[in-house]
Amino acid sequence: MYRIRFHGRGGQGMKTASRILGAAFFLEGFEVQDAPRYGAERRGAPIFAFVRADRSPILERGVIPNPDLVMVADDTLVGMPQAGVLQGLNAHAVLAIHSTTPAGEWRQRLNTDARIVILPPLFDLLDAAQRVRVSAVIAGAAACLTGRVGRDTLSQAVRTELADLTNTVIKDNINKALQAYDEMNEFKGIAEPQPRTDTPLPTGWITLGLDPATLAAPAIHAAANSVQVRTGLWRTLRPVFDYSHCNRCNWVCGSFCPDGVVSADENGWPRIDYDHCKGCMVCVAQCPKHAIQGMPEGWAAQQTMPTPPSPDRKEAAP
Amino acid sequence: MSPKSQFSGMKDLPKTHLLAPGSAMCAGCGGLEAVREIYDVLGGKTVFVNAAGCMTLMSVYPYTPFRGSWLYTAMASAPAGAQGIRDALDILKSHDRIGEDEDLDVVVLTGDGSAYGMGLSSTSGAIDRDLDFLYVIYDNEGYGNTGQQTSAATPHGARTATATSGIGVAGRKKDLFSILAAHEPAYVATVIGAEPLDLARKVERAKTMSGPRFLIALSPCPTGWGFDPQLSVEIGKLAVKSGAWPLKEYVDGRLVHNRVPKPLVPVEEYLKRQGRFRHLFEPRKDEFTLMDIQAQIDAYWAGVMDHDGA
Amino acid sequence: MTQRTLITGNGAAAWGARLAGAEYMPVFPITPQTEIIETLGDWIGKGEMGGRMVTLESEHSMITAAGAGAATGVRVFTATSSQGLLYGMEMLYTVAGWRVPLVLVNVSRGLSAPITLEPDHNDILAARDSGCLQIHAATCQEVVDAILIAYRVAEDARVRLPAIVNLDGFYLSFTREPVWLPDASKVAQFLPDMDPDEFAFRADKPVSAAVAVLGGGPYSYFRYQTHLAALGAVEVFEEACVEYDRVFGRSYAPVMAHRLDDAEIVFVMMGSFATKAMDAVDRLRAQGVKAGLARPLLLRPWPQDAIRKALTGRKAVVVVDQNLSMGFGGVLRGEVASALYGQADAPGALLGYVGGLGGRDITFAEFAEMAREAETAAAGGEAPPTRLLYTQAELREVRNLQTLAHAQGLTPGGEGRS
Repeated sequence: MYRIRFHGRGGQGMKTASRILGAAFFLEGFEVQDAPRYGAERRGAPIFAFVRADRSPILERGVIPNPDLVMVADDTLVGMPQAGVLQGLNAHAVLAIHSTTPAGEWRQRLNTDARIVILPPLFDLLDAAQRVRVSAVIAGAAACLTGRVGRDTLSQAVRTELADLTNTVIKDNINKALQAYDEMNEFKGIAEPQPRTDTPLPTGWITLGLDPATLAAPAIHAAANSVQVRTGLWRTLRPVFDYSHCNRCNWVCGSFCPDGVVSADENGWPRIDYDHCKGCMVCVAQCPKHAIQGMPEGWAAQQTMPTPPSPDRKEAAP
Repeated sequence: MSPKSQFSGMKDLPKTHLLAPGSAMCAGCGGLEAVREIYDVLGGKTVFVNAAGCMTLMSVYPYTPFRGSWLYTAMASAPAGAQGIRDALDILKSHDRIGEDEDLDVVVLTGDGSAYGMGLSSTSGAIDRDLDFLYVIYDNEGYGNTGQQTSAATPHGARTATATSGIGVAGRKKDLFSILAAHEPAYVATVIGAEPLDLARKVERAKTMSGPRFLIALSPCPTGWGFDPQLSVEIGKLAVKSGAWPLKEYVDGRLVHNRVPKPLVPVEEYLKRQGRFRHLFEPRKDEFTLMDIQAQIDAYWAGVMDHDGA
Repeated sequence: MTQRTLITGNGAAAWGARLAGAEYMPVFPITPQTEIIETLGDWIGKGEMGGRMVTLESEHSMITAAGAGAATGVRVFTATSSQGLLYGMEMLYTVAGWRVPLVLVNVSRGLSAPITLEPDHNDILAARDSGCLQIHAATCQEVVDAILIAYRVAEDARVRLPAIVNLDGFYLSFTREPVWLPDASKVAQFLPDMDPDEFAFRADKPVSAAVAVLGGGPYSYFRYQTHLAALGAVEVFEEACVEYDRVFGRSYAPVMAHRLDDAEIVFVMMGSFATKAMDAVDRLRAQGVKAGLARPLLLRPWPQDAIRKALTGRKAVVVVDQNLSMGFGGVLRGEVASALYGQADAPGALLGYVGGLGGRDITFAEFAEMAREAETAAAGGEAPPTRLLYTQAELREVRNLQTLAHAQGLTPGGEGRS
């Protein structure tokens, strides 16, 4: 059985990618399961989808803990433990990343035995108009890596799954899917089903005992501890201040930020809490002085963020 | 507006924020923006009583963004939950089992799905009983948490997950403001996060009153309405400027419009930025429906002029 | 001062709330429960009783307010019946999950459709899996006693769950019987003031309660803890019964026994109709039939050990269900069977009967016939299928009604069978 996981962010089309690949396998005569998995998280948060394909009826269900192939649409997720990209990967597995960073560098950076394949950039994640394309590209690459889906079948699967869209968009996506498929040609068929061990592991069962009701009620006895949830990980664009243009009005960026992560420091300079900024870019769109710019997160993470001028520059502010 | 407001201008708006970040609302959520602005003024000496909706995921075990308290009830009965807490606090106070300093303001927080529909009976009952509470409605004009299906708050001509073809929803948005005002509660106001000064003054005003008080916050929803999250505030402002979302208050038995947009920005400017109305512009413009929507807004404001004598 | 007075089951329920010192009473009227809230309202109005009563606009809201009041740390009483219990069902499950103590009296009444007024237990049994404890009273005396016991068990730190006290509509609710009202001055010995513990909304103690829980692991934990707390409530209930006997001199147990010692044929019934079974047992005994009755006072938690103790070693067990799980049969019979399966010395036969639906009477003749069938089944080692207690005369009456309703002619093939 093929077990394939797709990692991206909410809104990046991983569900559609899993459906295109699922449809392709189905058209090739496989039994198939495809499903997305999400919880409370929203657009921008790490999510995953998965596909199972086999020649016999599939009896497994739910998430795939030990995948044969992992497809990553957004390479900023790879190093993020919360995204679980590397979870369950062994030396047999293939990790395919859509990235400009070469495989060698990923190999150095990551603590994984998996074989790493790089899918060269075929879409711009930051361009909302290309969102569908992400699905087609990732599915196309995955189809080739399994070696079990032909080009014609892939085209048909894209057409089936994107049937609601216009013919032009469908054609563009078929082309992109095939382009990704061809890019992966040298790795065709390297993702193979892993043999499954049928020796049951210890269950680790316990007999659950009664806890005091105060402990056993679903209640949080704390205030404002959601700061421990780093929603900054959802961000693909980072708002960055150009303090030379900021007039410290504060009310625009500070009031409009839905998450309240822009606050004024003791000198009245606005500061962004990047641990929690979800990257909605409302502040960028609203700042009348254009003192905030949106930077790609991957790039911005490597930079030193500008710090507010010292208080004595106060008079310089208009 | 009361001249004694501590919010005389934008510069008076809070510069630090009370509601902790880290909750699972979408990036650019207009509902969260409004709730956060409201919370800044209300403060943490509050207990929020919630009904099923997007904001139920504000507090997911083991994390909460609130400085005060929170109780999730069910979809239909958050105002009844507020009744139970308010009554119990009053009983405890009357027996000196808690002091004034331990008391809390009770705030209901629900979406339009609950407020306009399933929870309306519970809301009406709470007003009948003159319950001392504030009810904050984040109105994103659909059942947002389940993927934006049509609710009683969905406007005419919007497409939703359950109205995917034709002009979308044929019905009209329910006038919850008037339904609430007809109960003659202490206070009803419409607000929007994109107008934070107006919002802050209204919260401040509601806070000083007792009895049933309502804030209906139109909540631009990037996910459900189909727009880039960065447009959240721009679309909110256009909702006000186009007259689609009148900022108004029912107070002391009188209806007051806080802002009469003059001239009205054509509603197309508001609609065309949203995916849920794209079918009114592409592949060809649906002049009939657009005129119909504009006519509804014009008629509303013509009525306001007559009424207010403006 | 202890006094014995004639009061209805509804009156006894109101006295239970009054003696328990209920502080908060969210209510909503429904027949046959309404007299309870009218009585409470009257007492509060006259200043004979403290507390605050608030009429909500539905049972769903009523149970929400009850749970929220309890979660804020006051002693809550509420009451409903049949359709009302079902309308509030979402909140019964919900407030149990909040782990808040309160007492709800349900006055049993048959469920719609067709809508009716007289009792059976389908309403209360629909709440069986809610996490609320269930005590089934058989007399007006038991109603008042059960309410005081219910508060003590529900508020016990080991339990912290809502409790429902059930009494049958009409047969108890509107029927006066002599009742020993517990001496108010002694109630405090038995029922201490409610300790809200950490469960309370206060400005200086922020708590986010009843929050969403994601993932099967945490969800299983919280749900199973509620189950464990309910299971443990059997022992807490037994302790409360011992203490109740000490203070008030009336003895209760999770399963009430009538002439069980040497009984060969044991009836199992709940609620007020069980006293009909007691009468039948006495009359059968007079005829030489060794009959007895085991009556679960506690349905949730299910007193499995006591049930086994009461029923193993018998010739036959006869469960008379005043309820009907469509497509299954009697609920209580299923519960009893699960308790007895695989037990050494299990009874020779387990017979199920459904009777008393919508207040339909159960006669001595029927009890005698059930006992006879039980003897036969025990001898033959095979129990007959579940039977509805229903007579030729009753069907004849229905046929007459069907004729008057012009329903007969609609049946393909003409007249219905008689």
